[in-house]
Amino acid sequence: MIHVQHLTKTYDDLSRGKFVAVDRISFSVQPGEIFGLLGPNGAGKTTVLRILSTVLSSTSGIATVAGFDVSADPAEVRKRIGFVSNNTAIYDRMTAWEMVEYFGRLHGMPKKELTDRVETLFEQLRMNEFRDTPGAKMSTGMKQKVSIARAMVHDPPVLIFDEATLGLDVLVARNLLSVIRDLRESGKCLIFSTHIMSEVERLCDRIAIMHRGKILDSGTLSELRSRHSENDFEELFFGLLSNHESAENNELAHDVGAGI
Amino acid sequence: MSERSEQLREKAKRAGRPRLSVVWMIYAREMMDQLRDRRTLFTIAVLPILLYPLVGMLLMQIAQFTQQHPTSICIVGTDHLIGDVPPLVKTETFVDGLTDNDERLELLCYTWNGVGRHDGVLNQAKNVKETTNNWVRDGIFDAVLVIPPKFADPQARSSDQEASMQLLYNVASDQSMVARDRLTGILSKWQSGWVRQRLETTGIDISLLAPFKLADIDIAPERTREAAFWSKLLPFIMLVWAMTGAFYPAIDLVAGEKERGTLETLLCSPALRSEIVWGKLGAVTTFSMMTAILNAGSMLVTSSFVFKQMGVGGGQVGSPPMVPMLWLLVALVPLSALFSALALAVAAMARSSKEGQYYLMPLMMVTLPLVLLPMLPGTTLTAGTSLIPVTGMFLMVRSLVEGQYAHALMYLPIVAAVTAGCLWLAVTWARRQFEDEAVLFGGGDQWELSQWVRHLWRDRQRAATPTQAFSCGAIILVALFFGKLVVTEMPTTFAGIAKLVMMPQIGMILAPTLMMATVLTTSLKHSLRIRLSNPLTLPIAVVFGICLHPTYVMLAGLVSYAYPISEQATAAMKPFTDQISSAPLMSVIFLMAVVPAICEELAFRGFIFGGLVRNRGKLRAIFVTAIMFGISHGVLQQSICATFMGLLLGYLALKTGSVLPGILIHMTNNTLSVSLERIAQSTHPAAQALVSSTGGGPEYNLVWVIASVAIASMCLFYFIRLPSVDEDAKADLVGNEEEFADPTAALSPA
Repeated sequence: MIHVQHLTKTYDDLSRGKFVAVDRISFSVQPGEIFGLLGPNGAGKTTVLRILSTVLSSTSGIATVAGFDVSADPAEVRKRIGFVSNNTAIYDRMTAWEMVEYFGRLHGMPKKELTDRVETLFEQLRMNEFRDTPGAKMSTGMKQKVSIARAMVHDPPVLIFDEATLGLDVLVARNLLSVIRDLRESGKCLIFSTHIMSEVERLCDRIAIMHRGKILDSGTLSELRSRHSENDFEELFFGLLSNHESAENNELAHDVGAGI
Repeated sequence: MSERSEQLREKAKRAGRPRLSVVWMIYAREMMDQLRDRRTLFTIAVLPILLYPLVGMLLMQIAQFTQQHPTSICIVGTDHLIGDVPPLVKTETFVDGLTDNDERLELLCYTWNGVGRHDGVLNQAKNVKETTNNWVRDGIFDAVLVIPPKFADPQARSSDQEASMQLLYNVASDQSMVARDRLTGILSKWQSGWVRQRLETTGIDISLLAPFKLADIDIAPERTREAAFWSKLLPFIMLVWAMTGAFYPAIDLVAGEKERGTLETLLCSPALRSEIVWGKLGAVTTFSMMTAILNAGSMLVTSSFVFKQMGVGGGQVGSPPMVPMLWLLVALVPLSALFSALALAVAAMARSSKEGQYYLMPLMMVTLPLVLLPMLPGTTLTAGTSLIPVTGMFLMVRSLVEGQYAHALMYLPIVAAVTAGCLWLAVTWARRQFEDEAVLFGGGDQWELSQWVRHLWRDRQRAATPTQAFSCGAIILVALFFGKLVVTEMPTTFAGIAKLVMMPQIGMILAPTLMMATVLTTSLKHSLRIRLSNPLTLPIAVVFGICLHPTYVMLAGLVSYAYPISEQATAAMKPFTDQISSAPLMSVIFLMAVVPAICEELAFRGFIFGGLVRNRGKLRAIFVTAIMFGISHGVLQQSICATFMGLLLGYLALKTGSVLPGILIHMTNNTLSVSLERIAQSTHPAAQALVSSTGGGPEYNLVWVIASVAIASMCLFYFIRLPSVDEDAKADLVGNEEEFADPTAALSPA
């Protein structure tokens, strides 16, 4: 469903000069699978997900979603994804219902079908008690639910969650995770970025560990455990990160030593 | 195969085209969103409806206050109005027939000794002076008329300085100035009565004093008279409000959405960027128009009511004629759209609403002159003014409001074309902003001077970036502007003229260019576009230059016909032209052709063009360099010709990928311009076949003009047929070598 190959994204940065945010990463996600993108802040997770959702363009490499290239057919890709970002972006002066309905209409859904779909979603996500509440008056949990309903309104085969649990309390976060699990059951292809290890452990079928724009390792949880002979996932994660950092620093020292 | 690719292309084309239904959806949402915002509603609807009546009420209060204050005048020394002096005052009033007796006037009279303390006759003059000065300064009287003792002496009255009447007033006080005007009027009436009386006593027929009578009659129809005031004021008010009305929603709809993160949500939806831009543009335009209409309407109603009450303008300023004012509404649509597109593009640069507010001022500063220009006295709709964006539209509306339909319609095509062009540019800019991810997502980190300088140095590229190109052009134009201020008079020697030409050319055009090219790029040759991809272009450029000159002369003639050069300017240039025509030809060519060609071309078609042409900015490079090149010439007539020439030179720079053909054409053209007169005077048969000397200066012979146009067209055809130099490929090359050092080059989709 999602295929990413040698995807690279560079920015021009005032302080660092040319800055590689994503460095030749590759992975793929199948339908009915939750793929976890795990990494510390600034690892490049959001950049990858933004490229997949076509709001950013890649510098090089290929990314396809549901068979469509993100740079060649962005419109087709956008029809097939639902994107939930970490800052629960919803309009302040729109009610929950209007918001979800608006995005349904943008997706070109027929009126009757749209109304039914929104009703179902509101039922499913238990949003009926605040369906006429404007965004400005919603709690963070409500906002997050609206965001999810908004992303799911056109029933996309691919859903992208970018640090979706950030800033949510335990209750809401648990609720969200169960929604995501339900989505997997219904055969959706899910990609989920986070820096919280426990979520990955509980939720994801396969994991990629990202650091400084690179994927350090990827595979199922058990694969990773056996490969690094480390049962504690947190230890595993930190081990990978610190190994990578020291390797990079060595490289840098080597470069400086060689007079480059 | 080809059919399939055709289908694919068609599909891609359709996919990129904005769908009306989606645009409408976005428009409707933005409208609803704004209408639910209390602040927006307050500024566009409540404020104008409340503000103007409130201000009107306040004005009327103040007006009543000032009307109750009568003009107070004091005359000191009435006891000196004796002898043959005709009567000036009765008790506490002026004599009948002297005052305009329509407004109240308070008069107080003192005898000479009735003022202040009495310390003896010698000091009384000083005493009066001090006292009366204080009266006027403190506003006890608005004006004081002092009649000194010597006035009583008929001999001294007409000659002695000390016998003159003194009118004391205070220029800082409006009341005092009014009093002074009225008093002067009264005194001159008094004086002429006196003269008449004197003449009569000597037996002269007083009808001699008025050989004719003058009656001034305003033939403007009632409507125009009333419209004249409103047709100036109302468009101004409307445009200012259209601008402000566009700006705040634009900030909220772009910068605000960016800040709240909803823009990203919208960008992930199937709505195309163009649909988002059109929808938002529609909403902002609607608000801009609503603000303008509500404000202008409310102001109109209130102020015409207030004016009527106050009687300002002596009934000239009545309520405006309503039907012609509808023209304003027609003109408001494109202008609102223009301001909205500009505001949208500018607001896209801001990361937050707060940052967006900072951009209002610069935007206002740029557009306000265009609105203020038509307010200047004497600005009317002409071929020249109709070409100025906004101003032209404004003036045309004024003509329409005043009922000069034929005049307005004559310029309608130009005004419409200019407005449409500007609108297209503004919308394109806004759309580009929405496609630029550096604008939408970039710029998270703090800007710091030292880091920026380091970045400029570290991330140098082979050619300038567009920003650097724009800055270089701006630096040159600003330097030339100040350079012009330094030159106060025309030098009279050739050395002086050489200095006058060399200083701006080398110091203000070449120096900044070379400096920027050296410091900001890694390759001087590359950034100045000194390269030779096709040697044949050079000789053809020379031939082109020669054959283009007759056309250029015609163009210059046409321009000076449309915008005649003032005699004053010609006279000021006289020493210059005299020196040029008498100096040795080789020096003149060096000074007027070689130096400008090299300096100007390296700057405009070299460094600046090279920067602007990147990232598929071909049209941008041609037009912007041509306009900058035009402005750099300073004199309007020259600027227009230079802009046209700049367009052609820009096109050739694009086709050849080099600055060299441009230098050659520029040089040939200037050489011919400065030496045409000498060629005409030469006895060489070839010269005589081409140019003949006439009374009005040298002229090309008709046959050569026709032939030259033909050859020039062939040369142009040659350049058109040249394989395009792929500027983007070169930019990519730069990108590969420097590894994406330019953010915009790297970010543009492959």
